[in-house]
Amino acid sequence: MKTLFHRLLHLLRWSRHGADLREEIETHRSLRQEALERDGLGADEAAHASRRAIGNVPLAIEDAREVWTLRALDHTRQDVRDAVRGLRKSPGFALVTIVTLALGIGANTALFSIFNSLIMRPLPVRDPGSLALLTDGSWSYPVWQEIGARADDLFDSAFTWADQSFDITQGGRPIPVDGAYVSGRFFDVLGVPASRGRMLTPADDTAAPPNGPVAVVSHRFWREHFGGADDVVGRQLTVLIQRQRFPFTVVGVMPPGFSGVAVGRTADVVLPFAAEPLLEGRDSALPETGQSWLEIMVRLKPGQTVEHANAQLRTVQSQIREAVLPGLRGNPAFAARYLTDPLTLVPAAAGASRLRRQYGTPLFAMVVAVGLVLLVACANIASLLLARALARRGELTVRLALGASRWRLARLLFLESLLVAMTGAGVGLLFAKWGSALLVRQLGNWERTVSLDLALDWRVLVFTATLACLCAITAGVAPMFALKSVTPGEALKSAGRAIAGDRRFAVRGALVVAQIAVSFVLVIAAGLFLRTFASLNQLPLGFVPEPLVLVDVNLFASGIPPAERGARLERLRNAAEVSGVRSVALSQRRLLTGGGWFTNNLVAVGDGPMLPEDRRQRVWRNATTPGWFDTMGIPLRAGRDFDDRDRVSSPPVAIVNEAFVRRYLSDGQPIGQTLRVNSDEGPRYEIVGVAADAVYTTPRDGMLPTMWVPLAQREPREWNSWRNVILTIKAAAGQRALIERNLATALTQADPTLVFRVGTFDEMLAATMAQERLVAMMSGFFGALALLLAGLGLYGIVVQAVNARRTEIGLRLALGAQPTGIVRLVFRRLGVLIVAGLALGLAGSWWAARFVAPLLYQIEARDPMTFSGTAAVLVGVGLLAAWVPARRAARLDPATVLREG
Amino acid sequence: MGLTNTPSDLLPGTLELLLLKTLVSGAKHGYGIVEHLRLTSDDVLRVGESALYPALQRLLFNGWVKGEWGTSENNRRARYYTLTAAGRKQLAAERAEFDRMIGAIQRVLGTT
Repeated sequence: MKTLFHRLLHLLRWSRHGADLREEIETHRSLRQEALERDGLGADEAAHASRRAIGNVPLAIEDAREVWTLRALDHTRQDVRDAVRGLRKSPGFALVTIVTLALGIGANTALFSIFNSLIMRPLPVRDPGSLALLTDGSWSYPVWQEIGARADDLFDSAFTWADQSFDITQGGRPIPVDGAYVSGRFFDVLGVPASRGRMLTPADDTAAPPNGPVAVVSHRFWREHFGGADDVVGRQLTVLIQRQRFPFTVVGVMPPGFSGVAVGRTADVVLPFAAEPLLEGRDSALPETGQSWLEIMVRLKPGQTVEHANAQLRTVQSQIREAVLPGLRGNPAFAARYLTDPLTLVPAAAGASRLRRQYGTPLFAMVVAVGLVLLVACANIASLLLARALARRGELTVRLALGASRWRLARLLFLESLLVAMTGAGVGLLFAKWGSALLVRQLGNWERTVSLDLALDWRVLVFTATLACLCAITAGVAPMFALKSVTPGEALKSAGRAIAGDRRFAVRGALVVAQIAVSFVLVIAAGLFLRTFASLNQLPLGFVPEPLVLVDVNLFASGIPPAERGARLERLRNAAEVSGVRSVALSQRRLLTGGGWFTNNLVAVGDGPMLPEDRRQRVWRNATTPGWFDTMGIPLRAGRDFDDRDRVSSPPVAIVNEAFVRRYLSDGQPIGQTLRVNSDEGPRYEIVGVAADAVYTTPRDGMLPTMWVPLAQREPREWNSWRNVILTIKAAAGQRALIERNLATALTQADPTLVFRVGTFDEMLAATMAQERLVAMMSGFFGALALLLAGLGLYGIVVQAVNARRTEIGLRLALGAQPTGIVRLVFRRLGVLIVAGLALGLAGSWWAARFVAPLLYQIEARDPMTFSGTAAVLVGVGLLAAWVPARRAARLDPATVLREG
Repeated sequence: MGLTNTPSDLLPGTLELLLLKTLVSGAKHGYGIVEHLRLTSDDVLRVGESALYPALQRLLFNGWVKGEWGTSENNRRARYYTLTAAGRKQLAAERAEFDRMIGAIQRVLGTT
């Protein structure tokens, strides 16, 4: 250890060391010279004799220094210097390889970082491997109470949480904060310690907590909101609901890196469930059996498998379900299925995430695609290095002849590629940091901020480093092959005379075939995803989004008492009529959120029986003010829109869409029919109009049966639980930007306490197709990249082939071959490579097609159009890559060539 | 002037042993060491620079001697070497080993 330290210290003072030795030896020599002079020699003669006696000074210094270094280390230094010099001599080559690698490694690292943090990374908690999530979907609080009470018998322990946004006051203004309600043992079961203060305890999660209402905050929130204050414990945090302020005492700060178990969503403020009735009052969702809003996780006992836990859970399933059944009595069919639907746990070491459900498959597809791109890049680099080694045959042979060991030369070549790989990886890492942040921004939208911890962890680092080294080795091995066949004797002979046929072309040929095959697969994928995106984009929406501006009003945070809502909203509607506005309407729900308000249960027409619910064919609902259909641009096919006659006191009316008519009212005239929804006791809605179909959830879901009721007929009781109302504003042609600018001011003037968000419908439309757009964008990019790389590879091999056969081609031309014949000669050789590549790629795509099928829309995974189109594109690229060098070959002047030879 | 001794002329490790021994009497620079060896061995041991300096570096590297810059008799910068405690220990050990080796050689030569 000390030895190594000594050596390193010396390496650092390397040049100093040499100078010292030189000086020391010079002193030695001068002393000897003086001694010789004392013996009677003349000054000149003495100097000469002393110099001769001392011998080879540099060698002595070299030997002396070598004591301090390992010989290999020194050689490596020299090799690195040589490699750098070699690369600097051909900057074009270095640039192309480094950029190719940086793109390959960068894109891989970016995607892998996201993939890792979204899907693979275990939660930063104690023993994440023993966590399991109760599927499928969310649960009501009564279900949790049943499971929680049995948790200690069935499992080691259990906890639950619900994502929730809170409005807290900061400087008097309400600001929305992502947070969560959690059960009392949440932190205890997860094994997450407080970085300051303490975490929540079961005592906090009771109706009368001993310390009053308490909260814990995330590390980030502590830094940003409390400025990282040391005295944060004990400070107040005010949550705002319905203009009422609820103070909470901060009792602790979560450790850095932990921000809840929902990956991709940060819980900055965490409250116990017991705080929910406090905040919501009579609207508390805790007692509701019909509200599914919790996620439930359990920690397995040591040695307990998930299968075992599932079996345990199912023995008590009927008790759990029975206990929460009373709320569902009105619906026997639903209740029957509910009782038998088995409760299932799945391993959840990496937490739970809605984002993961949405992006898991596409991300995996992209990780595979980007891996393929890297393969193409590696093949290209190997090919480039090989070509370079061939071009350097002369130089290498001279080195061999001068006595360099073969091993040493191979090492030099290897180092050169390693250097390129390392630089590429370095640049790639920068590219990755930028790219992954860009991608994560794409995952979010105007109503959902995505926060993923993209700090490069060891897995990403190992992954990148392995990739870089693999690249270096792949690329480093290829030149060694080439080197093997060089013998010193061959060295000084002219290399230009080679006639066709060379084993080394076989290696490059194989690389090019592989490149074409992989590019083919990638371009097919890009084609399929782009066409999926295009067909989704072209789907009829049923409404006209371009002129629309939306305002999402948060009724709770705005603190508008339910009794005043009608009048206040009417005032807002008038205030929104800024200049340039065609019409304004209100609705309870916004379209294209991917979800919405639906009848969970049943629909009955006239006096007919209740039709059983079909999960895949829910009936979606909305409540609107008169004029909404006109504002949205949805035509009415029959009947009338809502109007002022429809009030709370008048008979309930409804408008349905054509999809609804097709499903429930296929016989007879829909207008005038009556509907019952959910239960027999509810109101009978008279159908007064039929609207054209419009997309409700997402374009991919198509046209779903939908039913509208007048907002004015919603009972005041129901207003209580409404959090949001949507103002839809239709702009006159070309006025939208102006309206966007003026709207916020106008609304704040009309109602200073209003909490709202403004956006255009286009933005939302883009958000609903974020996944498809992302996939299409990325696969397009990767496909193009692979195509470019394959084209470069082809070009390179053709140029090289033509150069190697210059003499032969010159000879042929001299003997009377036509230029077209030469072009044909070049193309024939290339044709074989392209056809082989295409055949391989076709087979690969055919096989891989089934994996992408779930991501596609309205297109077959083995779509013949895409396949043939891709083949044509690749052939085109191949011909283009070959055309330039082929033309050049055909134009060779035979006389010049033959003279050279 | 045959200044051709290389380490191979001596038994392995002997040069280091001689250098250490030379430094027992006090700090010396390279030329001083060479002269001391020459005089005390009656002109038999003549050490060349190409052997001396790598050997001195080995001693430095192992921490058996210390090098300090000073001024030579002719007013040039010269490195003076002194024995360290570790060097003395090493000298004793090497000396014992040398005696054992010489004894062994003599025994071999003494047999007929």
